[in-house]
Amino acid sequence: MTSKLFLALAFAAIVTPVFAADYQTNLGPMPLDDETKLVIGGRGEATASSDGKTMTVKGSFRGLLSNATEAHIFISPVCGVPGKAIFNLDVTKGTSGTISGNFKLTGAQAAALRTGKLYIQINSEKAPEVYPWGPKGNLWGWLFPAHATVGANVPQQDHWFIPQVDTPCTKTFEDAKNA
Amino acid sequence: MRNKTILLLGAAAALGIAAFGPMAFSPLAFAQGASGPFTQAQATAGQQAFEANCAPCHLQDLSGTNDAPALAGTPFMGAWGKRTTAQLYSKISTTMPLGQGGSLSQDQYTAIVAYILNRNGARAGNTAFTPASAVQIDSIANGRAPAGGAPVAQNSGRQESAPAAGPNNSQGNAPAQSNFARAMAGQRVADPGAFGLPAKFGLSLEGNIQNYVPVTEAMMNHPPDGDWLMFRRNYQGWSYSPLNQINTGNVGSLQLKWMWSMPENGTMEITPIVHNGIMFVWGTGNTVQALNASTGELLWENRLGPAPRRPGPGPSTEETRSLGLWGNNVYVNTPYGYLYALDARTGKEVWKTHITDELKIPGGNGTLFGGSTGGVIIIKGRVLVGMTNCGRDGDDNHCYISAYDAATGKRDWKFITTALTGQPGGDSWGKLPDNKRKGAETWIAGTYDPDLNTTYWGTAQAKPWRRDLRGSGDGATNYANSTLALDPETGKMKWWYQHAPGESLDLDEVFERVLINHGDEKYLLTIGKPGILWKLDRVTGKFMAATPTVFNNVYENFDAKTGKVVYRKDIREQKVDQWLSSCPGPEGGHDWQATSYHQPSDTIIIPLSQSCVFMLGNGSQTYFEMPGTGGNMGRLSAYRTADLKPLWSFQQRAPFLTGVVSTAGNVAFVGDFDRTFRAVDISNGRTLWKTRLGTTVQGYPVSFSVDGKQYVAVTTGLGGGSPQAKPGTMLTEVHRPPNGYAVFVFGLPDDK
Repeated sequence: MTSKLFLALAFAAIVTPVFAADYQTNLGPMPLDDETKLVIGGRGEATASSDGKTMTVKGSFRGLLSNATEAHIFISPVCGVPGKAIFNLDVTKGTSGTISGNFKLTGAQAAALRTGKLYIQINSEKAPEVYPWGPKGNLWGWLFPAHATVGANVPQQDHWFIPQVDTPCTKTFEDAKNA
Repeated sequence: MRNKTILLLGAAAALGIAAFGPMAFSPLAFAQGASGPFTQAQATAGQQAFEANCAPCHLQDLSGTNDAPALAGTPFMGAWGKRTTAQLYSKISTTMPLGQGGSLSQDQYTAIVAYILNRNGARAGNTAFTPASAVQIDSIANGRAPAGGAPVAQNSGRQESAPAAGPNNSQGNAPAQSNFARAMAGQRVADPGAFGLPAKFGLSLEGNIQNYVPVTEAMMNHPPDGDWLMFRRNYQGWSYSPLNQINTGNVGSLQLKWMWSMPENGTMEITPIVHNGIMFVWGTGNTVQALNASTGELLWENRLGPAPRRPGPGPSTEETRSLGLWGNNVYVNTPYGYLYALDARTGKEVWKTHITDELKIPGGNGTLFGGSTGGVIIIKGRVLVGMTNCGRDGDDNHCYISAYDAATGKRDWKFITTALTGQPGGDSWGKLPDNKRKGAETWIAGTYDPDLNTTYWGTAQAKPWRRDLRGSGDGATNYANSTLALDPETGKMKWWYQHAPGESLDLDEVFERVLINHGDEKYLLTIGKPGILWKLDRVTGKFMAATPTVFNNVYENFDAKTGKVVYRKDIREQKVDQWLSSCPGPEGGHDWQATSYHQPSDTIIIPLSQSCVFMLGNGSQTYFEMPGTGGNMGRLSAYRTADLKPLWSFQQRAPFLTGVVSTAGNVAFVGDFDRTFRAVDISNGRTLWKTRLGTTVQGYPVSFSVDGKQYVAVTTGLGGGSPQAKPGTMLTEVHRPPNGYAVFVFGLPDDK
């Protein structure tokens, strides 16, 4: 059943018209342990719209433990796995503010957006320069196709959004190496 | 009291350093490795401080256990070799002891770092180590134990291992009396039901329960409506109560009837067991109590011991999850591998045995082989118990499930849960010799189908955890992460089904096996840390269906026709010094917080967690929110079991740290990390009632009745592994008292 669903969703992702697609993410702290949680924190939200050739990103953040320094769009091979930066976003150099950007997409980048492989990352002054597990940063979030969300403790009936069910985001995206 | 404890601990550690001086291992008694940036005095003091504060989890030989990574040998050097001593100090001083980062003095932390470096081959020098001393660790240490020191682990961190050795307390070959115990020696409490450190172990209050009704096989097969006789209430593991006095219409008026404070420190994830108006409950330090279930009056108490090995919440290795009843006895398995039968009427010991006959680990300095944390299941007069912490690389020991005569304690059979050479599935370990086939622990008690006379158990992952260290290549490593179907009278295996062949990221499939029927079809449902809800034919073990319940990026493919999973390429090819993303992480998906099967609506209700990790080869981890969850770590989801159709789900910031109990009143109860205990409507997931308790609501809630009144009981407690560690780090806005272990009992107002 699940494989069929995967295939159906993958097929849908390919054949669905690529214009007017909307995406959303919630920006949460990058990996935490008892050391990094002292310098990493905050939350944000962002959306992206795309006609298949360009992408417009807008978002906001708050509660950083030090000023934001830069923000990027990254491409990852599998959602939840770090990748490499492909675009720079405009970002407010404060502990709260906005991010924004408008970009031309290659075919591979557009495909990555459709399949949940792009993520937003905001860096900050106090976030460690080097993580042993990958790139530095403060907040991150994967852009997924727009889906219903509800507040905490509000039940959703029937199907609810599960990333790998509703997108092929865990199918390895080899083009991430060349995008 | 908390501050006093910490002060006492610190004072004890300092006194220990002064009084005992260098112990058996001299930090300078070797001549290999480069000179380190620390002194002999620091390394010596560090040994004392380490044993007082770190060894309860990382073990005395630094080999690590469960969530505590190895701090010596290849795993340590793989994780820390390219990092600096200052980074190691920062990590330890801000995060350790677990949940109490910064609670030791700077001198103690620097000494502990010196000791760890020393145990990894770095030599002492003339310069004292300071927090600013920044030397790349592999330039001074090589991971090899100094001559004359205790063996340094060369295996994976988080491997199975046994409690630290040392002086004894009242319990035969029980684990070491910790420095915590020594420090607390002056704070004795003799009164039954009162806790500091018990003045003595044993029967502190003898009971005299009249007219006790012996528990029979008929009762076990068909539990009386008002009783909760075993772990998940019935043999089928439903956690469903047929009581309906408390229902969707009146649950909003639920009120506290009584509460009972439990022993503090250590780890508590227990199920209150209720029979005929008597509640039996286990507390830390293996304290077993009988309470009047309607009033909370203490009826008897037996302090089996030993005391928790350090102050504050304990690790996941120091608990048990359920007691068992049979005849006139209550049965208790302890984390250190003992199995007791106590007289349910008096609390007196009837018999006692050890699941490995107190077998000592080779080279383990008296440490016993085997532990048990999953509770028991009693079938036809046999007490079946699983095993944890079983065997180290190269010894001949393995994990097994074993059965004991409930009347005498004599072992009837045991079934080794790793497939050895020549056995079915024995070729799935590559060319590994049998003495390197470890893991497949059984840390959750099994379930049972009386009609099929079959008991079903889940197993945990193979050990070492990571396939690159295990040496089993792409091998499936049977019977790890499997469902086992055994004959309860002989231990003979009928079939097994492996859910996650070759697992490599601490994603156990060990949890409850729920047995359900649809007409004549007999199914088994289970869900493990990867968050896949599985449905098997429990007659044959054939895969029937499965569905993902949370985000999962460790499988790049999942074949719904066969149930076959394919790990991501970088996981299949993982290397020891490689950080890997794992969604879910070791918190699950699903963890020990068990499901409930609401039979009237064919609904299974599942506590889920939504966190991910980056994990390094030695078990080091750092945590992040699961993509797509908006930072909500907790999720409670309901599925129809006939077709695994999703029915409803809600998420919240705090993960759920209790199992679920559902009732014929169409309500389900569940508690969470942030102290909330709630009732939800089974038909739609809406919260109907909630209250806030003293600390984390942790354990397995139950429902029972006494004299025609229905109650709901739940425990609060702390300690444990990933389900505590991940939210404890990530939910920085949540503040919980480090004490408050208790059982709470709720009921309707008396006039209703």
